[in-house]
Amino acid sequence: MQKSYIIIAVVAVLVAARLGWRFYRHTHKAKENAAIGPLRKLAPWQRKLYTVWVMFTINFRRVFRDKTALFFTFMFPMIFLFVFGGIFGKQQSMSFSVAIINDSNSAYAKQFVAQAESSGQKMLKVDKSITTIAAADEKMSRGEIDATIELPASFGQMVKGKTTPTGQAIVHYTENNAQAAQTLTSVLQAQFEAMNSRLVTTVTPFTVVAKQTNTRSLSSFDYTFTGLLGFSILGMGIFGPMNVFPELKKMGILRRLHTTPLRVWQYFLSTMMGQAVVGLLSLSLMFVAAILIFHLKVVGNYAELGIFLIFGIVMILGIGLSLGGWAKNERQVAPLANIITFPMMFLSGTFFPRYLMPHWLQNITTYMPLTPVIDGSRLIATEGQHLINLGPQLGVMAIWTVVVYVIAFRVFRWE
Amino acid sequence: MSIYLPPSAAWYSIKTMTDVILRVKDLQKSYNGKKAVDGISFEVKRGEIFGILGPNGAGKTTTLEMIETLRTIDGGTATIDGVDVASEPYKIRGMIGVQPQTPGFQDKTKLTELIQMFASAYGERVNPRKFLDEVNLGEKADAYVENLSGGQKQRFSIVAALVHNPKVFFLDEPTTGLDPQARRNLWELVEEVRNRGISVILTTHYMEEAEVLCDRVAIMDSGKIIALDKPQALIKDLLARGFKKAQHVQQANLEDVFIDLTGKELRG
Repeated sequence: MQKSYIIIAVVAVLVAARLGWRFYRHTHKAKENAAIGPLRKLAPWQRKLYTVWVMFTINFRRVFRDKTALFFTFMFPMIFLFVFGGIFGKQQSMSFSVAIINDSNSAYAKQFVAQAESSGQKMLKVDKSITTIAAADEKMSRGEIDATIELPASFGQMVKGKTTPTGQAIVHYTENNAQAAQTLTSVLQAQFEAMNSRLVTTVTPFTVVAKQTNTRSLSSFDYTFTGLLGFSILGMGIFGPMNVFPELKKMGILRRLHTTPLRVWQYFLSTMMGQAVVGLLSLSLMFVAAILIFHLKVVGNYAELGIFLIFGIVMILGIGLSLGGWAKNERQVAPLANIITFPMMFLSGTFFPRYLMPHWLQNITTYMPLTPVIDGSRLIATEGQHLINLGPQLGVMAIWTVVVYVIAFRVFRWE
Repeated sequence: MSIYLPPSAAWYSIKTMTDVILRVKDLQKSYNGKKAVDGISFEVKRGEIFGILGPNGAGKTTTLEMIETLRTIDGGTATIDGVDVASEPYKIRGMIGVQPQTPGFQDKTKLTELIQMFASAYGERVNPRKFLDEVNLGEKADAYVENLSGGQKQRFSIVAALVHNPKVFFLDEPTTGLDPQARRNLWELVEEVRNRGISVILTTHYMEEAEVLCDRVAIMDSGKIIALDKPQALIKDLLARGFKKAQHVQQANLEDVFIDLTGKELRG
C-alpha cells in the first residue's frame, strides 16, 4: 500500500519538476536575450499551462509582500490555536470543586477536612470561604461549585453500645450536577470503606479494580486541533477569494485579464495552486506549533495527510471561488457567505466535537463540505488511518468538489 | 506632427492605408429594449488612428466593448483582419490590445512581473525590461504599480497592452483626468504605436485631441454614427455650410499659455 503511494508521488514530482524546469528556462532565457518571441518549443497545451505557472509564481511571491495577507494566513490561525489549545490542551483530570460544612468536632471529622483541604490530593478543590449551607446552596445554584459535603454534628462520634465511631456524610447537589454528585458519592464511599476496613475487619469476596489500558484514546485537544485546521481551511478558502475578487473587479483588474485570451480554468487553476501551497504552509506551521507546544502526537503518514489536506483546501476554495467569482461587490456577497459558512463553522466540528450533537444533527452534518475534511484529517493524523480507509470522507468531498466547481465556472463574472 | 515624409514612408502609408483591418457592419446592442448601439457600420484601415466621439451615453464604450469581445453582439457583424468577433472571441483577444478607461493592476506586484504575467496570458514570453525601456519606465522596473504616478501608470498600461504585438489597439477615454503634459505624452505614445503599423481606435471627449491625433473620426449620438470623415474635412464641411464662430479666433489659447509657462516636460 505504502509503496504505491510513494511511486505515485515520485512520478507526480518528476512530471511537475520537468514542466517547471522548462517554464523556468523559458522565462530566464527571455531575460538574457532581448529578443521577444513566442514559446515555439511548447505545445499548445503546455503553453496554456505555462500561463498558469507564471500567474501562480507571481501571485505566490505577492503573498509574502502583503503584510495583512501574511497575518491572516499565518498568524490568525496560530492565535486561535493558542487560545483553544490553552483551553482544551491540558490533560483533564477528574476534580470537583466542593464546599465542606463541618458541624462535627470529632477527630475523624477534623481529619477528613484536613485531608480534603491538603494539597496532596487533586480530587477535591475545597472552597474554604463557605461555612454555611445557605452560602453553599447559593454558590451551587450559580454553578461555581459542584457539590457540598456536609458532616453533621454526629459524624465520628462514639455511640453508646458500639465499639467504633459512626457517621454519615451528606452530599448536597443541584439538579444540574447530579452526575458529579454521584461520582463524588462513590468516591467518598470508597474512601469510607477503606476507613471502615481499618476499624472493622471484614471479608470482601468480590471486588472490582479499574485498570487503564495502554491504547491512547483521543484527547479533547485532538478534536480541537483538527477542528482548528478545518476552521483555518474555511477562512482561507472562503473569506480569501470572497474579499479579493470583488476588489479585483472594482479595480478593473479582472476586466483587463478578460481582454486577453486567458481562460477561466487557467485563472482558477493558478489560484488553486497558490492557495494549496500557501494553505499547506500555514497548516504545517499549525502542526509544528501543536506538536512542539501542545504535544500533539501525529501517528499517521505525513504524505497522505498532505494530499488529503490539499484536497480539502481545493474543495473549500471552490466555495470561495463561486462566491467571489459571482459577486459584483463585497456587500452583495457577505450575507450569502455567512449563510454558507456559519453552519459549517459551528456544526462541522470546528469548535465543538460533533459527537456532542444529537444523533439526527450528526446525520445531517456528516454531509456538510467541511465535516469530512475535519474528520478525515483527524483519522489520518491522530488515528493513523490510510487514505484507502477514508472512502466515506473522500466520497463526500469528491461530490462537493464537483458541485462547487460546476457552480464556480457557471457563475463566474469578470466584472 | 511631421509634415515631411520620406518617399518610402509615404509609400508605406499609402499602401497600408488602403488595407482594412477592422470591418464593422450594422452592429447592434440593446439593453432592456433600449437600443444602445443602433446599427452602426464603419471600417478602420491598417495603421490608422480612428476616433469615436460623442456625448456620454452615445454608445461609444458599448461599441468598443462589443468589438473587444467583452459584450455579446445582438446584431450585425464585426471582423478584425477577417476573423469574426462573435464566433472566434479567443482568437480575437490574441489580436487586440485593450487599454481600459481606468487602468487597474494588482498591487504588490513589480512592473516586470506584470509584463510577464500579461505576456503569459497571451501564451508568450517576453523581456519585460525592453518593454519598460520603450516607455521610459526602465528605472521603475522593480517598483510596484501602486507607486507610479498617473502618467507613468498610463504609459505602463499602454505597454502592458502591447506585449503580444496586437494588430488593433483600443483606448477608452485614455486622457480623461490627465494633466496637459501627461496628455501630450500620451498622444506621442499613441502615434508611436501607430507607427509600428498597429491600428488605434480610441474614444474621447476632447475635440482638440481628436483633431490632433485622429486620422478619421466617427461622431456618435444615441447609438448612431452621425458623421464620419477626416477631422479637417468635417470642419471644412461645416464652414462650407456658412458656419462662423462668434468670437475671433486667437492664435493661441489658454492651454498654449499653460504649456508655455510650465513646459512640456512630463511630471510625476
